[in-house]
Amino acid sequence: MIQLLDISKTYGAVQALKQAHMTVAPGRITALLGSNGSGKSTLIKILAGLVSPNTGQVLLDGQEVFIRSGNDAKALGIATAFQDLSLVPMMTVEENLLLGDEPTRLAGMLDQGSIRQTVASLLERFSLKCQPQDFVQTLPPSTQYMLEIAKAVHRRPRVLLLDEATAALHQDEIDVLFKILRQLRNEGVAIVFVTHRMHEVFELCDEAVILRSGETVKSGPVSDFSLDDLVYYMTGQRMQEAAAYEGLTHKAGQAPLLTARAISLPPRVKDITLEAYAGEIVGIGGLEGQGQSDFMRALLGASQIFSGQIHFDVAKAQFKQPADAIKAGIGFISGERNREAMFADRTIAENIFAGNTAKGRRFTFLKKSAVNRFANQAVDTYQIKVGRIQDAASTLSGGNQQKLVIARWIAMQPKLLLLDDPTKGVDIHSRLEIHQILRQCADDGMAVIISASDTDELMDIADRIYVFYEGMVSGMLEGENKTHEHLVACMMGVCHIQPERQEGGA
Amino acid sequence: MSTFADSINLSLRRFRRTPAFTGFILFVVALMLNIIMQGIASGRPLAFFQPRSYGSLLMANTPFILSAMAQSLLLIVGLLDISIGIQFALVNVVCIMVPQAFGVPVWVGWIAAIGASLIISAAIGACSAILRLPAMLVGYAFIFIIKGINVSIMPTPQGKVPRAFYKAYDSLVAGVIPVSLIVLAAVFGLWLILKRRPLGKHMYAVGGNPRNAFAAGINPVAVQMKANLIKGFIVGVGGICLTLMTASGNPLQAENYGLRSLIACILGGLGFGGWGSMACGMFGAWFFVLIQNTVYYFFSFLSKVVSGFSVSSYWQNFVSDVILLLGLLMTIITAKEQRNTLKEGFINQFKRGERIDP
Amino acid sequence: MTLKDTAGKLPRMDFKLLWMRFTKSPAAVAYALSALLFALTIIINPKGFNNNFIGSLILLTVLLAISSAGQTIVLIGGGLDFSGGAVMSAAAIFTSFTMDSKDGLFLQVLVMCLAMGAVVGFLNGFFVVKIGLPAMIVTMAVSNIVSRLQYVLTAGSPAGWAGPAFINSVIHRFFDVIPSIVLYAAVFFPIVFWLLQRSRFGKQVYLVGNNKQAAYLTGVKVNWVIIATYVISGMMSAFAGILGAGYKATARVDIFSEYAFTSLVAVIVGGTTFSGGVGTYGGTIAGALLMTVLSNLLTTLGLPQTMRDILNGLIIILLLMMYNRSKAVRQ
Repeated sequence: MIQLLDISKTYGAVQALKQAHMTVAPGRITALLGSNGSGKSTLIKILAGLVSPNTGQVLLDGQEVFIRSGNDAKALGIATAFQDLSLVPMMTVEENLLLGDEPTRLAGMLDQGSIRQTVASLLERFSLKCQPQDFVQTLPPSTQYMLEIAKAVHRRPRVLLLDEATAALHQDEIDVLFKILRQLRNEGVAIVFVTHRMHEVFELCDEAVILRSGETVKSGPVSDFSLDDLVYYMTGQRMQEAAAYEGLTHKAGQAPLLTARAISLPPRVKDITLEAYAGEIVGIGGLEGQGQSDFMRALLGASQIFSGQIHFDVAKAQFKQPADAIKAGIGFISGERNREAMFADRTIAENIFAGNTAKGRRFTFLKKSAVNRFANQAVDTYQIKVGRIQDAASTLSGGNQQKLVIARWIAMQPKLLLLDDPTKGVDIHSRLEIHQILRQCADDGMAVIISASDTDELMDIADRIYVFYEGMVSGMLEGENKTHEHLVACMMGVCHIQPERQEGGA
Repeated sequence: MSTFADSINLSLRRFRRTPAFTGFILFVVALMLNIIMQGIASGRPLAFFQPRSYGSLLMANTPFILSAMAQSLLLIVGLLDISIGIQFALVNVVCIMVPQAFGVPVWVGWIAAIGASLIISAAIGACSAILRLPAMLVGYAFIFIIKGINVSIMPTPQGKVPRAFYKAYDSLVAGVIPVSLIVLAAVFGLWLILKRRPLGKHMYAVGGNPRNAFAAGINPVAVQMKANLIKGFIVGVGGICLTLMTASGNPLQAENYGLRSLIACILGGLGFGGWGSMACGMFGAWFFVLIQNTVYYFFSFLSKVVSGFSVSSYWQNFVSDVILLLGLLMTIITAKEQRNTLKEGFINQFKRGERIDP
Repeated sequence: MTLKDTAGKLPRMDFKLLWMRFTKSPAAVAYALSALLFALTIIINPKGFNNNFIGSLILLTVLLAISSAGQTIVLIGGGLDFSGGAVMSAAAIFTSFTMDSKDGLFLQVLVMCLAMGAVVGFLNGFFVVKIGLPAMIVTMAVSNIVSRLQYVLTAGSPAGWAGPAFINSVIHRFFDVIPSIVLYAAVFFPIVFWLLQRSRFGKQVYLVGNNKQAAYLTGVKVNWVIIATYVISGMMSAFAGILGAGYKATARVDIFSEYAFTSLVAVIVGGTTFSGGVGTYGGTIAGALLMTVLSNLLTTLGLPQTMRDILNGLIIILLLMMYNRSKAVRQ
């Protein structure tokens, strides 16, 4: 029914889609698969009217259509549940569900009776327990995702797009959702289902379309694929038992550099206990939004914990702001480069020098040559490819930008380095280089805590892995326990592996 | 009987949850202070309740209150307009000059004035909504532009309004209800209708998150333009009230409504985009009006008690601006209150949300 | 790749490159526009071109450049300060009132005025940081109070005269052309340059203005820096006000209020952006020259105040369109 032909899209220097194509048939559930950054979300956003493709055609029933806005998509019968949600947080459940689709009666006034009825039946159908008058902002993430889907389903679309709808859902909610999706399929709705969970593909989907680096590499009925095939087409590698990095175990009797005990920080972090020793790389795993970022920011003092205790370097730590934590010897690298790490309009030299800028006496004379020497040294050490260090940092590629941020911190020699998904959107080559730099730092005695959404990355680099699930530690993987299967199982919350040495609880 | 009490209780509790609640409390407190101070200063405890007394207070301040109500619409859609004050002067100037220059009836001047206000609002809307320039600085630029227009239409303060008109504006219906209150009620009625139409919901969505509103099939630019035009209409009505109140024209008056209306709105509980309602702006403005009135009575009380005490208009202006700044300071507290409400909501959900998966 | 390869096409390439560099540098554009408008002014009114004209052009440019220094720093730090005009006026009033035609009081005046500017600046910064409201609203509210206070203290009439020696130190002409205010500039400009370009504080201001969240997570005490920019801005405006009193000899309420506008435009024309993190003081000086020349031209043309107001508004809209459009919802 819907065909996408030769779709390309570039964001600045990044090519998100390269002549991708996809066909969606009525009464079928099509799985759209691919690893991070393969262009799935961009494809969905093009169909939803949020992104305009550079080239390519969209055909609906054989006719070329142009989807220029959410309104166009609605008119064509396309409804979307977005990965990053399209709810307005400060509005109520009721207002959100019917937004842009409000029933009216005489003279264009809202039909309150009909609204109440519709919302009640929708909430019932999706087994949602929230009240119509609750503000969406105050609801737990899983409920918000269900609302997002309910909103899309309510439009009675011909084409329903679900972008990683199940990532934040609980099992019972997933059951409800699948029942509804099968029902819609039988009614002839075409459904596109983006997911990272392979078992859902086999359980629910009829067709599969696989993207890799913005290109459609394979499509066909799900029954034609084995799990191995899917992973092969997504990653370009056959699954194999690669010799997993075993990981160091810290020396007995050594005191931990950082101890976080029973940390809670609403709404995401409930009860996290974690230790990190000098000289090791601690991984934090988990699906997105399980409290990893919030926990790291709490360690840094960027947000104040609700309860629990943090000990750093023997002393009890109560950092009021990141400046305090950094003074005490903590460094922080965010994967949200543009928002939280880069000074895009400033020069490369100034970006590298930024950590030094933040420290020390403010009203002293800074020689320009001193700043440049500092920057040049870092550029050489970490092999950042630059034109001139006086160019704006925005001229660098993503991978080099991230190396620049890492250089900034490592030059400061912190005792503990926190990295929040640092290799997001970084090419594989830069990623490996970053891993080497981090390993070198750990060997030199730094403690490194790294959170990553990519499981392979965690397995490769971390000595020990704490897996977060719903704001709690669902598993601490170490030594023999550190396997891919355990990691994935803990991420889904279906397995609990606790460290052998139980620390005293809260 | 008990169901009636229950429903009152319920609607009270619901009102407590609305953003306008803090503004309402401020309004009540200021009203009390005013009643008491006026009672003390005039020697008659119930002086405030004389229709002449509250009538003239309302009459003189209706334009300002309307400016805050108009401003609140813009804040809801995520815009703001600091030149709203000088727009009142524009309406005033057109109201006076059109009948004077062309010899047409007064009401034709009024229609022309509302038209002028709509055109200016459309121009400002085009700059901020279509060209996506920062609304705050667009307003700043338009203060200069509108000032220039005003003075070229009316170089010096001048003009008259027929007596029958301003007398009518200053009168009391049935001896107790000031005409200006009816104007305010009519504009607020307009809001109540708007709120119950899809456009009302779309305004909140656009202010709260333009991208998501767009994804839901709403055109953010159109919604922001509509909000600007409705604001322009309210400014037109307010400008006519201003003309009737002063019964003359002045091209450079009311400029400070711009900043004051903004602060009133924020104090009344409006956020920058998608949070609050017109009631917030209204209560915030009333708060200012009543406090200022209270200060006036306080000074007149002092001059009665302390012999030789007199206050220049400079002092009164100074005090009223200090009150404005204190009002800004108070937003720290009111905003904190709202944050707390929200945070409590979070923590409640957080506790409720605790669940054990099988 | 090498010099040899490009040698053949060098002249053309070089010109193109120069042109690109020129258009990329707002300061250069501002200087070029100034020269153009200056020439235009002379063509329209050749008789007006004399030593006095040049002298007052330099004097007004320096005064505007000094009064725009604070705004430059605040804007680079991501803020906006509308109290400059009011602080300047207040400092001017204080100067003429305190000096009262007597000499030898400069130091007292300087200390008091700077303290006053610092207090106002602190209020600005503190409210901006603590209330979390847009800087424009907060600084306008503070600015209003500073204006009102002038009325209260002077009862609306001019107050006193600046000391004759001090007046002379501002408006004396060396060789009948160069005004002595350049001596103040010779001290003031290097201080601003050091503060912005060669001190750790300056670097922090740029970081905060470019990306506040990143600066915070990098360990910069963001609130401290923001408040400091406002304090410095207040002090610099007060300093400009003192010099302004010397230039005008006496002061009345809100005498320099239009500087709030002129200085803002001068800073933006000079390449500092509303969004923060970008800009130099050198650019601001160029912007100040352009604004002064433009004002001279408008006076020569005999444009009425109403037209000048409308023009001013349109200039801001134009600048916003050039430098400050936000992104569209749809990509």
